[in-house]
Amino acid sequence: MATVLVVDDAEFLRVRISKMLVAEGYQVIEAENGAAAVEKYKAERPDVVLMDITMPEMDGLTALKNIRAFDPQAKVVMLTALGQESVVLEAVKSGARDFVVKPFNQERVLSALQKLLG
Amino acid sequence: MNVNFLNPFVEAANEVLMAEMNVSTSRGPLSLHKSALTTDDVTVLISLVDQLQGVVLYGLSYDTALKFVSLMMGQEFREFDNLAQSGIAELGNVITGRATIKLAEAGYRTNISPPTLVSGRGVQISTLDFPRLVVPLQTSLGDLTVHLAVREASPDTRGGNFIPLAVNGAGQ
Repeated sequence: MATVLVVDDAEFLRVRISKMLVAEGYQVIEAENGAAAVEKYKAERPDVVLMDITMPEMDGLTALKNIRAFDPQAKVVMLTALGQESVVLEAVKSGARDFVVKPFNQERVLSALQKLLG
Repeated sequence: MNVNFLNPFVEAANEVLMAEMNVSTSRGPLSLHKSALTTDDVTVLISLVDQLQGVVLYGLSYDTALKFVSLMMGQEFREFDNLAQSGIAELGNVITGRATIKLAEAGYRTNISPPTLVSGRGVQISTLDFPRLVVPLQTSLGDLTVHLAVREASPDTRGGNFIPLAVNGAGQ
């Protein structure tokens, strides 16, 4: 069973995505900001990370860079309301493997995970 | 303030409500306000920085907020609890994020703050002497009112939010 780390400052979104992923057979762990995400990644080594960008304490792009510095093979999907070209480019340059813009559709998120998990 | 800055927010709200809840919006009358905004039951506040600077606020009633989060989560919410508050703040975040994509396409690079939620009627939020464009978006679940106070930043002020905010009064 694959483990997904869901990172978002919005509890509502974490609960909503967790419900969706658990129903699809994934194991889910959660973090409410980038700093917590880096710690949980190091401690629990999830198979995939779903990462928001705009968060207090540490934003998602910084967390992405920190996670990739710790594990260059880390599979991180950005899931964010920010979809400007410049943000997408920075995320991809920093090692994001996919980019989903909110409002997301369930199939798009699941297909991104399935693609990365092979 | 350039009224064209409002259109991306209105379009984004329409698209997000349709995508999240299958609810369409119709645009009510546009107005310009210099007096302080008196909050509705629920108000989400998000700051904008970079080439466009200012603040966007979304106001709605508890009844509408509960209907929105119930549809978004697929389960009924009867109280405006922490989870429901988080859902409405996230809705404001997603609408604003989508608006910034449209602004970027129009040549205005803009970043946004995490949302702040004010729960309770009667709090006054003032953008001081800077005017707000206000437009109610009418839906079958109630109105979502968009308040926008922004302007283009000069190159030397792009780091911060130039519009000061003053908040007065306790909510009811």
